[in-house]
Amino acid sequence: MITKDILCDAGSFISLTSTCMEQLIYFFAEKHNVRFVIPPSVEQEAVSRPINRGMKKYLFSALRIKDLINDGVVSISDVKASEEAKQIMQYANNLFFVRGKPIQLVHMGEAEMLSVAKKLGIEYILIDERTTRMLIESPFSIKKHLEKEFHTNVMLNKKNLQALSKELNGMHALRSSELIILAYEKGFFKRFQGFEKEALKAALYKIKYSGCSIRFNEIDEYLRWRK
Amino acid sequence: MEILKQLTFSVLGAFKSRKQRNLRKLNDRILREATINFTKPLFRLAVLSYILAKIVQKPRFLKPEYAEQLKNIENALKTAAESVGRVPDSEVLKNFKKVETTITSLEKKDRRYLIGLVGKGELKTAATMYAQGISLGVAAEMTGMEKQEIMDYAGDTMMFERLKEELNIKERVKTARGFLGGA
Repeated sequence: MITKDILCDAGSFISLTSTCMEQLIYFFAEKHNVRFVIPPSVEQEAVSRPINRGMKKYLFSALRIKDLINDGVVSISDVKASEEAKQIMQYANNLFFVRGKPIQLVHMGEAEMLSVAKKLGIEYILIDERTTRMLIESPFSIKKHLEKEFHTNVMLNKKNLQALSKELNGMHALRSSELIILAYEKGFFKRFQGFEKEALKAALYKIKYSGCSIRFNEIDEYLRWRK
Repeated sequence: MEILKQLTFSVLGAFKSRKQRNLRKLNDRILREATINFTKPLFRLAVLSYILAKIVQKPRFLKPEYAEQLKNIENALKTAAESVGRVPDSEVLKNFKKVETTITSLEKKDRRYLIGLVGKGELKTAATMYAQGISLGVAAEMTGMEKQEIMDYAGDTMMFERLKEELNIKERVKTARGFLGGA
C-alpha cells in the first residue's frame, strides 16, 4: 500500500488529542498507511513547550502527542524551509491593503507549514486554523471578509496574489472534521455498534467546540447527505 | 503615534466617567486600528480598553471600597497617555503594563476565576482579531495568548458561522476521500 503523507498543524493535533480522538490517528496510520508529518516548530509548540514550561492546561495533550511520536505514528520532518517561508509571508502579508497599509495576515509558523509542505512535496495539510486554510483555498473570501469586518474597501495586490497562488498550487487543506468524517466512512466508529452516526455527530460537535473552523450547517448537511 | 495618544486619552476619559458603552465602542475602534497599523502599543491599548469596560460593568468594583484602586488605575493610565510620543514604544508598553499591574491588584481582594481580568482581555482581543480575519499565529503573538486558548474561545462563539466559504462540505469530503485514494 502506498504511504500517504499529510502535514499537520499544531492546532489540529492539540484539538484531536484534547478531545480524546488520537485513536483516529492510529487508525489511519495502521489501517490506511497514512503518515502524519509535523515540522519541528509544531513539535516545539504542541509537545516540548507545554512539557518544559509545565503548562497545566496543555500537559495531557502534549504527552499524548509525544506518545504518538514515540510510537512512530507521527514523524518529525527535519527539512529547513525558513527562506521559503519568508517569501510566502512576504506575499501573504502584502496581499490586502486597508487605507494603504498592508494587513499582516499570517505568522512565520504558519508560513513555515506551507513552505515545508511544498519542499517535501506533501499535497495535503491538516489545519483547523481558518486564515491560512483560506489562503490555500480562496484568498478572495478573505478579502470579502475583511471588507465586512473593517467596513471599508480592501485593496488587493494582484501580483502578490499570483505569486502566492503559484507557491500554494496543488495544496489541499483538510480540517480535523474531515478527518473524522473520513474515519467514519472507513469504519472507525463501528465500535459504537448501532450508534455510529450519533458518535460521528458528537465527535464533529466536540471538534467544532475545540476551535475547528467547521460550521453547524456543514455538520447538518453532511449528516443529511449520508442518511 | 498621534492616533495612539488620542485614543489613550479617550479611554482615560471614558473610564473616568465610568461610561461602559463608550469604552466598548472605543475598544472596537482601537482593535481595528491595531490590526491596520499593527503596533504593539495599540494592541495593548485594545486589551486595556476591554478590561476597563469590564471593570465599569461590574457593580462590585464601583463600591466605595474600590475607589482608591480605581483612582490608581486612572493615574497610571494618565501617565501612560502622557508618555505617548515622548518616549519610545517600549517605554509606552511598560507604562501600559503598570496600568495592568494596578488592575491585577484590584482583583486580588475578590478573585473569582482562574483567568484574571488581564488574561480575559487578552483572550477576547486575540479572538476578535482572529474573527476579523487575522491568523491565529498573529493573534497569539500580538496578545501573548496560547493558540489553543484562542481556538477554544473561538469554538464557543459564532465566528465561523459568519464566514462565507467557497467550498461546501460535499466538496471538502470529496477532497478528503481523494487523500486516501477514493472518489
